[in-house]
Amino acid sequence: MTNFIQLLIGGVLTGCIYALIALGFSLIFRVTGVVNLAQGAFCILAALACASFEMQFGWSILAASLGAVAVAVAVGAVVGATSFVPGLTRLSNANMLMLTAGLLTVFEGAMQLIWGSQPYALEPFSGQEPLAFAGITVPTQGLWMLGITGVLVLALWVLLTRTRLGQALRACSENPTAARLMGVSVPRMTLFSFCLSALIAAIAGVVIAPATSLQFDSGRLFTVSGFIAAVIGGIASLPGAIVGGLVLGVVNTLATAYLSSLYSNAIALGLLLMVLVWRPSGLMAGGPARRQDVRDEARVWKRVHRLSPAAGRFAAVAALIGAVALPHVMPSEAILGSLVIVGILFVALIGLDLLMGWCGQVALGHAGFMAIGGYTAAGLAIDHQVSPLLGIFAGMGLSLVCALVLSVVTLRLRGLYLALATLSFGLLVTSFAVGLTELTGGPSGMVGIPSLEIAGWAFDTTESMYHLVLVLDVVLVVVSQGVMRSSFGRAIQAIRTDQMAAAALGVNVLRTKLVVFAVSAMLASLSGSLYAFNFHFLSPDMVDATRSLELVAMLVIGGEGTLIGPLLGGLLLTLLPTVFAPLASAKTLVSGLLLVGCFLWLPHGLYGLVVDGLNGIFRRFGETARPGAVSEEAAR
Amino acid sequence: MNAPLVHSRPGLEVRNLCRSFGGLQATADVSFSVPFGTVTALVGPNGAGKTTLFNLVTGIVRPQSGEVFFDGERITGASAGRIAALGLIRTFQTARVFPGLTVLENAMVGGHRRVRTSPFAHMISLPSARREERALRERAEAMLDIVGLGRVRDTHAVELPMGSQKLLEVVRALMAAPRMLLLDEPAAGLNDSETADLAALLRAIRDTGVTVLVVEHNMALVMSVAEQVVVLEAGAVIACGDPDAVRADPRVIRAYLGAEADNQGGRP
Repeated sequence: MTNFIQLLIGGVLTGCIYALIALGFSLIFRVTGVVNLAQGAFCILAALACASFEMQFGWSILAASLGAVAVAVAVGAVVGATSFVPGLTRLSNANMLMLTAGLLTVFEGAMQLIWGSQPYALEPFSGQEPLAFAGITVPTQGLWMLGITGVLVLALWVLLTRTRLGQALRACSENPTAARLMGVSVPRMTLFSFCLSALIAAIAGVVIAPATSLQFDSGRLFTVSGFIAAVIGGIASLPGAIVGGLVLGVVNTLATAYLSSLYSNAIALGLLLMVLVWRPSGLMAGGPARRQDVRDEARVWKRVHRLSPAAGRFAAVAALIGAVALPHVMPSEAILGSLVIVGILFVALIGLDLLMGWCGQVALGHAGFMAIGGYTAAGLAIDHQVSPLLGIFAGMGLSLVCALVLSVVTLRLRGLYLALATLSFGLLVTSFAVGLTELTGGPSGMVGIPSLEIAGWAFDTTESMYHLVLVLDVVLVVVSQGVMRSSFGRAIQAIRTDQMAAAALGVNVLRTKLVVFAVSAMLASLSGSLYAFNFHFLSPDMVDATRSLELVAMLVIGGEGTLIGPLLGGLLLTLLPTVFAPLASAKTLVSGLLLVGCFLWLPHGLYGLVVDGLNGIFRRFGETARPGAVSEEAAR
Repeated sequence: MNAPLVHSRPGLEVRNLCRSFGGLQATADVSFSVPFGTVTALVGPNGAGKTTLFNLVTGIVRPQSGEVFFDGERITGASAGRIAALGLIRTFQTARVFPGLTVLENAMVGGHRRVRTSPFAHMISLPSARREERALRERAEAMLDIVGLGRVRDTHAVELPMGSQKLLEVVRALMAAPRMLLLDEPAAGLNDSETADLAALLRAIRDTGVTVLVVEHNMALVMSVAEQVVVLEAGAVIACGDPDAVRADPRVIRAYLGAEADNQGGRP
């Protein structure tokens, strides 16, 4: 019993931190309708800055904490003003979600450069000695967490309900247009809410830092836990955030203690899915309901980018000749190796493009399917001497089953909620990959994976892999192109922007989405298997959430809904570090910056640029391009 | 129900349909029927519940009580997809063309529900798939030519002016081979000559055997094409019959003039 109470207290303390981050989510969501995934990064930023102030500059705990919070809020103000607020007027909600995912990547990359990848732990505010009472011990830091959470919640409540500023904020959340008519500057209020939630997250980070160890990429854990808490409580409800945080904290702690930490993640995910499916508005629904459709805002699709047929034929032939000739003209093993990786990732990217670019379903956990494919095929090959090809099919089968289960469970979820469900799925797979040590080799990875061998042909050299991947990619592009030009492909694109209108024309929306999701998952799985066979090694961090976000970055940078675009994005992000070695350590930062930049300034990606360029050249050479092949600015 | 028309087999039957949003009674006990082979117009002042009625019939909003039958089959509360599969195809009040697709491709989406070849056949480009695709394309091109959109068929659909987008939506709905077409204010945004073309188009559609239910504000259009007019006011049917009878109905006159006076007075 004592033990149980002890655990309960621990759960409440953890829950306080979740609640604080959830509060930040709810605050921004209520004002803008956007979920800010960079939330957790402010926690870590403040914690790491605090560590530096204390250890390197020798500041006192109080000064270091205040300084760190100030730094985080200042960074928040700059980031908010340059990316988040401008993005709001240009991007759909779901794209905003991915913009913030990009911001999270930027933060992680920058913090990795500044603080390295080692974990930091701070001294507790008031000593290591815990308080003991009737056999129950409470770390003093826990009291700090509890107290500061209480004070923050109270201060926020006063701000929102008792001040003019709070009134303006609530006006923005309830009716932005009316607020604007009444003279409230909505962008300024948005920025204010962004900074306010950065402040809350930063305080949470400074307070939690002594109780756990943090490193540059712990932010995503806070983001996910905070978000799960916010959704459980009701994303639009501030009291809901606190309730959700406490519930999640207690459930997580109890599950970790009585089952295992492996299952505590699974239980958190299960809890999230249960709430999403049965009570999408959360336990404490509140505030105005915001529409969370698929990315049905037309502004994403202002222009149609298509190569004119002549330019398309030319580009295809040129690219093919170049790709075949490349190993002979440039026999650099390193570059060829990178190209093989690009080619393998391109398989997953085609799947992701079908799902996100063509069908409009946001997916942030695609590396989870890569992991399933990789571990299944490699594990079967090592432990049971199953032929690689059979292993690949087994992996695809398993991915298919997982995708179907996931999509049946998330059938009603759209946009934002689907994105988060997929993100949680990816994290769940990673936690299994780390936890099921006897099957996967745990955190240190799986070694001794054989080379790919198909019907007696061994693909054990870089060049042979290159040719295999090249053929596979070409076949996939040709086949996908065919499907996209069919009636099924047009139905997919109709669903992308307007599910309701598509359904009203007799398109079976659910079945179509299911098929696309399943195909997409199987392609990711295939890509994961090839990845494992190529490296002869697979570890959880090769196919974790970072990889998922990297895939999204490649897709967006290259150009969504273009099939070829993601290849350009993949080439850019993979080859840049190979060509410019100093960039390798800044890879995460660069890919994050590119992602954010592309969302804001290059909505059609590299592919859009290439298409415009090629079409222009061909027009100048007197080719009569179809009028539709020429992209024009849309009438508003 | 007064259904004095020659075409007596009821296509769509709406019985006692009720739906409220919060405190607002959007439709209250609405009943009427649309005989097969006719053009029926649904008219009424703004906020009378016309669009809600469309949403209830096409499965986008679920009714709280009441029933809807199509060709004798009960479709109350069925999904939008199932209702479309029965041949009940609608357009929307504000044109909802699919962004990212050209005009021609938008029209071809309409033909989706009648496509028989599987995506796999298209994947490997089987002759049967190519043949069906070509037939679909030709049908879409022909339809676009009829309404005068043939010239812009390779343009990005959302670049069209609003009037053309609404026409495109009608074409897209026709491509779905509807048994009954529900048009939500198709003349909004059209000029006079375009409206006259639309009237001719509606009559042509009816002559091909498609039943039409149209929500429209343009009274000249309504009176020139409709065989039956249903008047809604504040969520209830206040008159139903042939155009001349409805036009002479004192309740309709009062509702219309009264509603307009109220509108100017700032009725919510």
